[in-house]
Amino acid sequence: MKRETDKHILKNGMTVLGEPMEEVGSAAFNFLVPCGTSRIGKDLQGSGKILKNWVMRGAGGLSGRELTDRLDGLGLHRSNAVGSYRMGFSAAMEAGSLLDALELYSSILQRPELSSEQFELCRQLALSEFMGLDDNPRQKVMINLREKFYPEPLGLNAFGTMDSLHSLTSEETASLIDKYFSMPDTIFSVAGSYDFDKVCSRLEELFGGAEDKNIPHFKAEKPRRGYWHEPHEGSQVHIGLMTETVPIRSDKYFDAQVAVSVLSGGMSSRLFTEVREKRGLCYAVGANYNTLKDEAGISCYAGTTPDKAEETLEVVIDEFKKLRDGVSEDELARAKAGLKSTIVMRSESSMSRASSIGGDYNLLGEVRCLSEIKRRIEAVTLDSLQEFLDSNPFEEFCIVSIGPKEIEAAKKI
Amino acid sequence: MQFKSKVLDNGLKIVGETTSSSLSAAVGFFVKTGSRDETAEISGVSHFLEHMVFKGTENMNALEVNAAFDRTGAQFNAFTSEENTVFFAGVLPEFLEDVTAIWADLMRPSLREDDFDMEKNVILEEIAMYEDMPQFDVVDKAKELHFSGHPCGNSILGTGESIRNLKADQMLEYFRRRYSPSNITVCCCGNFNWENFAAQIEKLCGHWEKVETKRETSFTEGTAQTKIYTKKNLSREHICMVSPGVSAQDERHYAMNLLSLIIGDEKGSRFYWQLVDTAIAEIASMHYEDMDGVGAFYSYFQCSPENSEKTIQTAKKVLEDVRDQGVTEEELDKAKHKALSALTLKNELPMGRLISVAFDSVYLDKYIPTKEQIEKIRAVSVEDVNSAARMYDMVNCSQAVLTPEK
Repeated sequence: MKRETDKHILKNGMTVLGEPMEEVGSAAFNFLVPCGTSRIGKDLQGSGKILKNWVMRGAGGLSGRELTDRLDGLGLHRSNAVGSYRMGFSAAMEAGSLLDALELYSSILQRPELSSEQFELCRQLALSEFMGLDDNPRQKVMINLREKFYPEPLGLNAFGTMDSLHSLTSEETASLIDKYFSMPDTIFSVAGSYDFDKVCSRLEELFGGAEDKNIPHFKAEKPRRGYWHEPHEGSQVHIGLMTETVPIRSDKYFDAQVAVSVLSGGMSSRLFTEVREKRGLCYAVGANYNTLKDEAGISCYAGTTPDKAEETLEVVIDEFKKLRDGVSEDELARAKAGLKSTIVMRSESSMSRASSIGGDYNLLGEVRCLSEIKRRIEAVTLDSLQEFLDSNPFEEFCIVSIGPKEIEAAKKI
Repeated sequence: MQFKSKVLDNGLKIVGETTSSSLSAAVGFFVKTGSRDETAEISGVSHFLEHMVFKGTENMNALEVNAAFDRTGAQFNAFTSEENTVFFAGVLPEFLEDVTAIWADLMRPSLREDDFDMEKNVILEEIAMYEDMPQFDVVDKAKELHFSGHPCGNSILGTGESIRNLKADQMLEYFRRRYSPSNITVCCCGNFNWENFAAQIEKLCGHWEKVETKRETSFTEGTAQTKIYTKKNLSREHICMVSPGVSAQDERHYAMNLLSLIIGDEKGSRFYWQLVDTAIAEIASMHYEDMDGVGAFYSYFQCSPENSEKTIQTAKKVLEDVRDQGVTEEELDKAKHKALSALTLKNELPMGRLISVAFDSVYLDKYIPTKEQIEKIRAVSVEDVNSAARMYDMVNCSQAVLTPEK
């Protein structure tokens, strides 16, 4: 599994990354444009969600219908997403359609039509999606948690608020393109079956002329810790909690990954064992590592019926804290085996690789190749893990819940 | 790619497709049993049993099972549908033998009473979780309405009441009837050695005792009933429509699948242009499910309560237009491109192949190579799709609406 990453910088500064996969017939790409929620800010919150839809409704002289027909004609599986730093435009397809797809995306990103009539429809859909969150408390609790945990504006959610969505204008939203759709600051990644030279020369033709837009910087506020509850007459209390840890840039990053795996990697992990297997408190319980450039957290979700909520939270917090008391040799081996095989298996998908290499570059300014990642996981020892847990103990928690009942125990943490 | 298969004396079927360029392998035990094989008294037992399989055997308790799996680094799980209970794992080639041995052992579980009582809590939590997810709840309700009186309408999870009342010996009896080797297909795909795999399965599972199993596979066009359900604290209207389709055994399922993409793919379909592009509904989608002896189209819509009537009328108009005027060559071409690129992406992963190869064996008792799948999709004509649209009444369909309590 020795794969090298291709890298090229276009004349205007746009970064092009690639990971060739000989064994596949597909290709997948991802454009990461510097227009994420933290740059958009609170005043225009929600506009990113509108924009990612709006730009698909006509571009480069093609109407929305013509553009969609062309994308569908290439059989493109596509999705757009708004992250903290960047807006992602990704697509996967049979490899033969790659260069044609790039041409369409160059129009979408540089020459969107942005008619005001289409803006109103996109706003309506964004409002509907925002209201739909109330019918999905499990998703909503994790969105709320992230917003509380990260210092503002880093954790701002892409959905916006009722007020912001109502007050946004098409001019304000369109201005995001002028400000942030800077092609020189865009990261492009491709994985699968492709010819890197051809991809680069096509991108040079399509994007090479774009100028730098001098992206303004933002300043982050201090993070908040505490407990927030939202009443909801549902069947379960949905609990989200998050505690601070080292970010991807840290040299302890792989220790943090192994710690999360001990806590919640497989079915023998501590949370699954203590919360579900031994006590039958939840069906869904699990923790994830979550990182931005300089901030990171371990988040955890647990859904349980109201009379079990107090005990669930106590057991979960206890397991986070108990990690520091020591991890066994066997637990470490299992955690490492799980992480390594996940990485190898994910690398079989072109979509997943294109998104990983772009994401890595966004946060790290470099791409860690698969053999390097495997080597670093291998290098984690019981001692290095203990050192990490001692110097980064899980002491403070940010807790959010949605459900019919508040959790008393959360108020005391 | 190379396909091999073998049937043991006790009826256990072993199938495999080797792809030496894969980095991993996927293995699965496919038990042909699900909620359609249950009676009301034991509603939810197939799914509950799927959970209990993980609780161990004479050789391992639940915690040991979990640790044994995790030592291999496998990504493993299980799911239960109306007609299948599937246990699967994706694993690096060097751990395939270990993972296969664990699964083979687990297929003869102990079903201990204390594990049964503890796991009941987890199942009840899972039922509560889906109650908070109206987007799933409404599909379940529509399915129940459509298949009313037919076993495919049975609930997969069961109800709080049926689960609370279920006894361990009822599950044991169900296990004995349904987990016969003749009712199980073992499949492996990706980077593995067929001879070693088949020999391992024969050694570990060859002694399992065979029991006769039966399933009722009658066809139904459904009831075309409609019903409105109210729910507290709901923000949106959730609508699900179900209409009949051909079974997995009927070749016309290729045309039906393309028809569902033309009508209700997430992007660029008729539902998309009429409902989502116009912001009448935020979600409007259709998919086609081919099952054992029967099939169905499921459409799901999410919109504001004010737009509910408009959404239903618009969707019905789309279905009428397709029935009366048919689809165009261009629409079919786009649908084929979508289907083919989805197939390419799925088939690149051993896990994607595992599901295809195993289900083709379970439903059709044959192997369909990727190339043949592609040819069959390409061969579908506009006439095929139009006759699929007119075969049954898609317009007067079964319909469940979940609406906020006023």
